[in-house]
Amino acid sequence: MKLTNGLSALALVGLAASAPVAAQEKPASLGFGIFTFTSGPAAAYGMPGKNAADLMIEEINAKGGIEGVPVSATYVDEAQGAQGVIAEYRRLAGDAKNQVMIAALSSANCLALAPIAEQLEVPTVGWNCDTHQLLMDGKSKYVFRPNGNTVPEFIAYAIYLLERKPDVKTIAIINPDYAFGHDAAKIFTAALKALKPDVQVVAELFPKLGSPNYQTEISRLTTARPDVVFSNLWGADLENFVRQAAPRGLFTSSQVILALGETVLQRVPLPDGVIVGVLGDGWWMSPDAKANAETAKFAESYKARFGEYPVFPSIKMANTLIYVKAAYKAAMQKNGGKWPTRAELADAMKGSKVATLTGTTQTRADNDGLVDQIVGVTMKAPAQPFPVIGEMVRYKGDSLMPQAGQDPLAWISMLKPEFAKSLPKPGSYK
Amino acid sequence: MSNAIIPLLLDSLASAALIFFAAVGLTLVFSVLRVLNVAHGTLYSIGGYVAASACLFIASRQLNPYLSFVALLFSAVFVAATLGPLIERSLIRWTYGKSEAVQILITFGLFLILEDLQRLIFGVQSFYEDAPMRLLGTTSIGGVVYLNYQILLIGLALLVVIGLRLLINHTRLGRLITAVVADREMAQSIGIDTNRIFILAFSLGVFLAALGGALATPTSGVAPGLGADIMVLAFAVAAIGGLGQIEGAAVASVIVGLARVLAIYWVPALDAVAPYAAMLVVLLIRPYGLFGSVTARRI
Repeated sequence: MKLTNGLSALALVGLAASAPVAAQEKPASLGFGIFTFTSGPAAAYGMPGKNAADLMIEEINAKGGIEGVPVSATYVDEAQGAQGVIAEYRRLAGDAKNQVMIAALSSANCLALAPIAEQLEVPTVGWNCDTHQLLMDGKSKYVFRPNGNTVPEFIAYAIYLLERKPDVKTIAIINPDYAFGHDAAKIFTAALKALKPDVQVVAELFPKLGSPNYQTEISRLTTARPDVVFSNLWGADLENFVRQAAPRGLFTSSQVILALGETVLQRVPLPDGVIVGVLGDGWWMSPDAKANAETAKFAESYKARFGEYPVFPSIKMANTLIYVKAAYKAAMQKNGGKWPTRAELADAMKGSKVATLTGTTQTRADNDGLVDQIVGVTMKAPAQPFPVIGEMVRYKGDSLMPQAGQDPLAWISMLKPEFAKSLPKPGSYK
Repeated sequence: MSNAIIPLLLDSLASAALIFFAAVGLTLVFSVLRVLNVAHGTLYSIGGYVAASACLFIASRQLNPYLSFVALLFSAVFVAATLGPLIERSLIRWTYGKSEAVQILITFGLFLILEDLQRLIFGVQSFYEDAPMRLLGTTSIGGVVYLNYQILLIGLALLVVIGLRLLINHTRLGRLITAVVADREMAQSIGIDTNRIFILAFSLGVFLAALGGALATPTSGVAPGLGADIMVLAFAVAAIGGLGQIEGAAVASVIVGLARVLAIYWVPALDAVAPYAAMLVVLLIRPYGLFGSVTARRI
């Protein structure tokens, strides 16, 4: 009996000793949990992300997978709400096959998942987490954002607006009623007030996310007669807003800024002169993207498969997968060619600089990403049946970001008009 | 302030018109069948999907775009004719005389089934076809540009109120419905085919829901989840007006529309809660709604 117990103990010790080695052998397959909206009004934004992931994973596997390991994805629909998303995350993280989570689209879900990622020690890459609150404490070990955040994204619009319309006096805001909408309103307003203190906010509306009808809001915006209407509505909300506002003349009575306007260019006939952007550098037709053969191939494959060119959420997803693939390569170079553990993978992401389809993404010490910001205005293009972005500017990612640990709103309030003047001008990115 | 009054009133009426179409069918079904149909909102969104599909078909075949107006109406007729009798005979009739809890559970089950069926058939993406809205153009009132389609909706809602009142008061079917509402057993005993009345009344309710969805589609599109959102609003309207009251639904729609519009104009943070705050105030003063009354319970 004693001998049996002794053998069992030895076997357990042996198993325990061999576990780390086993964890670093190449697995038969590699799983990603990918979180996005695949149903509901937000699917208009989420599905392009999923489509891009499908296409990229196929392409990665066609080239032998990541470091020789084929990749598969399990998609989680964020439309089920935060509780369901958290439960799915925990379930997927419990399977050792799923080494990385690509989560999430909604800023609210990103904030909900971040502490769980740290607790479970699972590298989690926010493919569309924009809220600046995500990495503000600078303590994240496992949560990464290879995109820009709400601070550079919305400062970029304020700077572009003042360059294009320096005499702006009044603005109105219509954003979705949750963190992303409120953060954007705060940042855009703070930047404008810092750069042009006499600007007044004459209306601030926050309709419920998923609202189908904006007719009253459009009347309210029209009666306020603002010089500028700023919006970061997205998905079906944005499509509805544009379809309802365009015939009612909002785009002619005010200068409209649609921060996520690129996502609807191929679906809705936006008039010329609307300020739009891509919350980063992810436009498939930007000069840098056009110069990259891989991007052109991706755009054409996407168009052939899904019937339209990739919108910026698609590019964000594709770039995120490129980022994860690069992290595997870097981690294996660092550990002598062994398959990396989750911790080694996270370590490889920190401080990385990765070439993407549309530029580069650099990860700071606080795990936040530095990505350039492209802003422009809608205009007709003879080669395309839909409006494109013209008069573009490309702001360097680091020029619009506060230092790690710095309070973003305090940093914005210290911006001076000279700062804006030192940046590239609209139309300079050709 | 004075500049805002005309837009405010017009916005309230336009908003009320859309809400009214969703609520009046719910209240009509309740008044005749005594069933609170939780799946009513899904029938609204199915109407929207069918109408959008029909309008998209017309556009894709480059048919006369004015046919899309006909498509809106016939989509509602199609949904009512196919789903109305089917749902009433297969499911709703088993709930007659049962407790409210059973009725709500069964119709909630129906809501879940229809929502999933809708996803299977129409997918999860939004549907849009705004031809009816574009064709009618715009009008400037009080310095604000309105879609003529919005004004048309106000007129249509008014027509539905008048039409329903005429139907109930001045047609044979209306008198039969009134008899069934007044006393189901007595109506049966004098030879009224109550089953037929139930099918017709339920189908009329489905028609009104589907018509609401169809008419909303040209301006706001249709997407999964629309049914649940509109259902909550329809309940609020039905509660304010008094369950089973057609004119009550009309007045309550205006109250809800006005509450929402006032919030958007002056207290945007209360936009989402304004309709329910209005409901709370009305129910505190009149627990059975503006037009509702306490009825003696027959044993």
